[in-house]
Amino acid sequence: MTLHDCPPPKAALARWLTAYPSEDGSYGHLLLEQDCDCDDDMISDLVPYFESAHADAREFFHEQMGIELHPDADAPEPHITYPTCLPSITRRGLFGEVMAGMLTEGFEYIGKHEWTIPVFLFRFHEDAEAYLFALARDEERKRQVYGRRGSDFIGLALNEDGDIERFIAGEAKWRKKLQPAVVADLMYGEKKKNKETGEREHDGKGIWFQINSDIPAPHGLRQLQRLLREIDPDGYSAAIAKLDRVLVVRNAEPLPRTNLIMISGGDAPSRKSKHPLIPREEVPGNYTAPHDLQVVELILNDGEMLIDGVYDALWAT
Amino acid sequence: MPENDPQRLEIANGARTRLALENELSANQARSYVRCLQIGWQVDTIGWNRSDSEGQLADARSLLQAAEIFVEIEGHQSRRAVDCYRRAGELLEWLARSEDDVRTIAPVELLAGAAFQLGGLTAMASGLLGQLDLEEDGPKLFAAFIQGDFDAVLLHTMAFWGQNGDLRAPGSSLRILEEDRDDRLSWYFTVELIRALGLFADSIRRGADDRLAKAAAKLKALDSMAVRTFSDDVSLLISLLRQVAERFTDASIYRSARALGELNPRRMSRLLAFARAQFSRGRGILWSSQRAGLTRLLENSSFALCTPTGSGKTLVANLGLVKELLLRDHGEVVPLALYLVPSRALAGEVEAKLTSELGRDLIITGLYGGADWGITDYWLNADSPTVLIATVEKADALMRYLAPLLLSRLKLLIVDEAHQVLPEDTESGRSDFADHSSRSLRLESFVARLLTQAPDIVRIALTAVAGGAAGPVARWMEGTADASAIGTHYRSTRQVVGVLETASERRSTMLLELMNGQPLYVQGRDDPVYLNLNIPPMAQLPAQMRSSLYRFNQVTVLWTALHLAAAERRILISLAQQPEQTMGWYAESFDLPAWQGLPAFVPPEGRNGELFAEARAACVDYCGSDSYEVRLLDRGIATSHGQMPQRVRRQMVALIDRKICPITVATATLTEGVNLPFDIIFVTSLKRSAYDNVKQQPVITPYTSAEFRNLSGRAGRPGSTRGMEGLTLVALPTTIATTAPGQMQTQRNQMDALRADYAALRENLRRDELADNATLSPLAMLLGELRNKARLYFGHLTDETFLEWLEQIEPGEVSDDAGTGATGDAARLADTIDELDAFVMTALEELSLLDDDLDGAQAEAKLAVLWQNTFTVAAAAQEAWLEDAILRRGRAIIGEIYPDADERRRLYQYGFSPYVGRRFEAIAPAIVDLLAAATEYGLETPEQRLERFEALGELLKEDRGFGFRVRDTVGDSEILDAWTDVLSWWMRAPGGEVPEAGNLRARQRFVADNLEFRLGVAIGAVVAQKWTAGAGDPLAVPSLAEWKATTGLPWFGFWARELLRWGTLDPFVAFALAQGRAKTREEAEALRPAFEEWLGEEIDAPTSEDLIDPQQFLGWERSLPSRERERAKVVPEEAELTGTTGAMKRYNVLPMAGEDEVIWLDASGYELARSPDEFGLYDQSDLANDYVLNAGVQATVRRVFARSRRR
Repeated sequence: MTLHDCPPPKAALARWLTAYPSEDGSYGHLLLEQDCDCDDDMISDLVPYFESAHADAREFFHEQMGIELHPDADAPEPHITYPTCLPSITRRGLFGEVMAGMLTEGFEYIGKHEWTIPVFLFRFHEDAEAYLFALARDEERKRQVYGRRGSDFIGLALNEDGDIERFIAGEAKWRKKLQPAVVADLMYGEKKKNKETGEREHDGKGIWFQINSDIPAPHGLRQLQRLLREIDPDGYSAAIAKLDRVLVVRNAEPLPRTNLIMISGGDAPSRKSKHPLIPREEVPGNYTAPHDLQVVELILNDGEMLIDGVYDALWAT
Repeated sequence: MPENDPQRLEIANGARTRLALENELSANQARSYVRCLQIGWQVDTIGWNRSDSEGQLADARSLLQAAEIFVEIEGHQSRRAVDCYRRAGELLEWLARSEDDVRTIAPVELLAGAAFQLGGLTAMASGLLGQLDLEEDGPKLFAAFIQGDFDAVLLHTMAFWGQNGDLRAPGSSLRILEEDRDDRLSWYFTVELIRALGLFADSIRRGADDRLAKAAAKLKALDSMAVRTFSDDVSLLISLLRQVAERFTDASIYRSARALGELNPRRMSRLLAFARAQFSRGRGILWSSQRAGLTRLLENSSFALCTPTGSGKTLVANLGLVKELLLRDHGEVVPLALYLVPSRALAGEVEAKLTSELGRDLIITGLYGGADWGITDYWLNADSPTVLIATVEKADALMRYLAPLLLSRLKLLIVDEAHQVLPEDTESGRSDFADHSSRSLRLESFVARLLTQAPDIVRIALTAVAGGAAGPVARWMEGTADASAIGTHYRSTRQVVGVLETASERRSTMLLELMNGQPLYVQGRDDPVYLNLNIPPMAQLPAQMRSSLYRFNQVTVLWTALHLAAAERRILISLAQQPEQTMGWYAESFDLPAWQGLPAFVPPEGRNGELFAEARAACVDYCGSDSYEVRLLDRGIATSHGQMPQRVRRQMVALIDRKICPITVATATLTEGVNLPFDIIFVTSLKRSAYDNVKQQPVITPYTSAEFRNLSGRAGRPGSTRGMEGLTLVALPTTIATTAPGQMQTQRNQMDALRADYAALRENLRRDELADNATLSPLAMLLGELRNKARLYFGHLTDETFLEWLEQIEPGEVSDDAGTGATGDAARLADTIDELDAFVMTALEELSLLDDDLDGAQAEAKLAVLWQNTFTVAAAAQEAWLEDAILRRGRAIIGEIYPDADERRRLYQYGFSPYVGRRFEAIAPAIVDLLAAATEYGLETPEQRLERFEALGELLKEDRGFGFRVRDTVGDSEILDAWTDVLSWWMRAPGGEVPEAGNLRARQRFVADNLEFRLGVAIGAVVAQKWTAGAGDPLAVPSLAEWKATTGLPWFGFWARELLRWGTLDPFVAFALAQGRAKTREEAEALRPAFEEWLGEEIDAPTSEDLIDPQQFLGWERSLPSRERERAKVVPEEAELTGTTGAMKRYNVLPMAGEDEVIWLDASGYELARSPDEFGLYDQSDLANDYVLNAGVQATVRRVFARSRRR
């Protein structure tokens, strides 16, 4: 079992991206624009981090696939590998999550905490959950989903004793083209027809809603903790105990928290260089949670190519 | 250990103490529970909002996390983890049952079920999940798995493979991954999960450990994948499935079966088959108390298992039988086990259960017939291991008959409901000694004697939880001072106790007060939990019916029950006494105009309909067609009380057990140790009262808390009842019923008295919960009673003066009425002394059966050994003088009081207490003469036959000591005076008149107490005496062939007791009923011509004795076509391999019906082979069986396990 232990490729990041950070009280904003074309060198600089981020999940995927239940099977060979086997759309989701980790570890955010992502959670299986309950492969069928899904991303700030001082959680999204309408959908929810007015309106279930209404111990913390317990119970003993407190003790003193919103994607012509998608001068009015907020905008020119380039290069040798 | 683990434990324990202490609900938890009850009962609910629900859900999550911490650090057995799982299960259950809209992505019911399962509350898990109406296939499958219903899991998974033929091919899972579809991983995960669950289910029930390990590894890997990729809730669900699976593996009965099998490898396959059969009965996964019991069983020691009824202790007893009777090498001895039960009804239940499970391996016989041994007692001669199931009274009688024989074979003693050794610390408990009717003393005496004579036998006691019996019973059974009972923490059901408030012309209201013994408050002490039932109020009763408040109250209970039963609830109306009165009230209520709108009861169809018809016929036969029993049965109401004829009682039990009758009206005898499903028990009175004519005062006996607990314990067996909890409601009127001014004050007083009884009961229950070790024992109580009276009447204050008194006192000196059943103080003291003498003398005789002479010193030595085996010593409350009292009384009995050894031997064999026995001896020869003279009984007319019984009865009529005994009431005295009328009716003699419904029970009581019991005992005592005198050899085995020669009696002597029991003058009728050849006496009579025809062919001129010779009856029965259906021979099916190389040679497979063929699948969904099946012989029901594919030269499939039809 493997922890994510690869440091962020800071030199490559510096070469690749231009950063426009800003701060206002408890609000931090970081606009990152692509500075150079993506080439093989860039890809090979990014690959170790991506492999490290995916190593744990890869191990479990392979182990799981390695258990073949046919009674004649003894040592079967799965032909496919993780994460290569992931569908294109899933890759893009994962790319956003890994980049959120890389940027969080590689740049300074509001509060100047030293963030670490001990292990990446990749949650991309909403259809799988629908299948699990229907026991049928029906791609059209949408299951009525109750309850909340977890954050896309969780990182920790640890002190020298290994105890958690603060955690960062939030949404990390990739969109091919970041036109204003796309960003609006992301932030305010997809448009649906209002039955009363007949107008199409945002359904209000976008990132703002998710972030503002999240519970003190967001879903995902339990899973992160379980992985730490499995992977390195001694090394993370203090962090594990702290997470227990958060998960078990009602009205426990809440763990200080920073919310992260990372939007990544291809640039849109409507945006002017150095101009953010989300206002950076002061905390956006839509944000009502009491925690520090860090917004990261990663604007790429050839992101699609980069994603496929990176994913095709993982464990390629 | 990781550095911060202590801190983690502290965190988890904080949640446990705040949220999950056993039997302690926080205010919000109580509110949530009450709300769920209110919603279930469709009544107004308390205030509740979404944040309340979210709070409960958050608490449940916290507890699941806390439980994981405990398990991770302390291991699976962590008690604290169990607390957390259980409460988490409850919180989730209450949300689920409230149909709360706070949902999780995974259905909250599944999380609740899994939490119960991990908390060891298997029954709660099944109870909750079993009554769900799930829409989606996934949750259905997961619910079946979490319940441990592996047969159902396979039904679901095989249906899936039926719909997804492409997934049955080898390599089909990996091919999903190679598809170019975005959802391939998702689909792959789902398919693999179904494969793993199916394979797990099939492998665990077969005990196929290698395949099971594979399925478990897959589940673990899927869980690891889910925690990384799924939402928190779904990954939690998968994780719980995996954890539940691990528990199943740990708790599979195969582990115990294999460990036991190691003791005797020749029997291994039988044990594995036993284990498989348990899975088939849904009992393959052991409960924690069972595991603890079986661990002890393996360790080769005696023990006490302490769990509530219905929590699976029978299985431990069964494996105890297997181990001691089948696995051990006893050399030449054919081993015997004695299984003591508290009632004849329970003997029947235990016999039926044991026979269905072990009937092929062991002779199992319930000794509850009339005779001390009878025609069914073939076990005596058989060379198969045998289990005798008997009440202690029966076992005691058998011992007097056959002690040396029994002791030479006895290897195992099982004492069921062993807590019944605790005496009732009440006036009536004490007066039982003088009446020679103390069951607890009889149990203590019998077991102590047995342990003294056979110190090496293995003993297992099964006992209930509360009341403090567990510790002392464990010490008694194990014979060591530091023994403790196993499994005391198990509480398998949830019990709620409260009040049904009845009021004139108003709706009834339920007031819920205790949950699992703890007060249930919504908020603070002033706010009790009310459920205002929304059933229509009962119409005003006619004035004459309202003139009794009790009648009004009880009829209102029936009205309520009738409406609640309509919602599929099973209801017991429990009566303290005078059942015939209530039954009469009920029968009359149905004639009221306002009751005519109630829906009629429609008897079920099919097998249940037949059972109903049989029970009704038996009722008509024994009670009369106008009896209350029949009238109520026609309304769907079963009845039961202690004086009911056995046959009717057993059939009533069947009607209740199979839920044919939704309502039962019964006294407490119904529920003594017998498991019956009720959702609600209404209690109509908490005391019994009688009138003492000598003292001219009423004798009031309130329910003891043990009695009440036993009763309320019958409510709510999850899985067999509708709700998740059993309700026991005491019916209390809140208004008076009468409008007649003259009756008002009386009714007000009665109303207050009922309330006061309830308040007293609650206080007793509360104290009882706190009780730990019981310190009272029957023998100590008997001696204490004597000492008390010696001080009171004779002024003996010190130990020594009391003992000196005890050394010389004789019952006859204390009272001229000694041994006559008189109720004066002196007579009762004399009889109490006689009871002590019975204890001492029975022990002395039994311990020296093979010795001729016994002097005082030897007697003391024997008694000293016996003393160490008493429950009194185990209860550890003895004072020195108690033992002295026994020893010195023993010496006095030998030396002074009963110095004649021959007389002592005879008195022992009679079975009466010695002083009564001496008086009995005066008439014993007359009984012998009457029996001996009946040589022509077989040819006699019914009138002549009846006269023989009348003559026997007349000998007993006048003597309350050993003879007939009735209560001191006008009605009973009249019955005694006209007792031959009762006899004539009971024995179905010509002209016998059926009593009126209202008089029936008093006559049934006379039959049960005096004809079946007292007359039966007297005849039995004489016959036993004749046998022993004739046999000479104490080890002689009784046999029908020798019986007449040995006893010197005609067959009438053999049959007399049995005839009294069945209520017939014809031995053939008794035989046919006992053997189940006929359901009623009329049916049995109709079979006689067939027997006589057969006999005429066998014997030229049958004599009178031939006509009633039990050997002839058996011969006739053997000539009849066998009723046993032959087991179909299993023929292997030829098969063609279609999805396997055959490399593994042997494959576990399951059938799936195809077109003109059957497809054999591995339980993971892969097709392995096919066989032709033109006739479509295979269907879903075959998934309950096991099949094996042998991939030889010609592949074949063979059925290796078939589910028994009797589930």
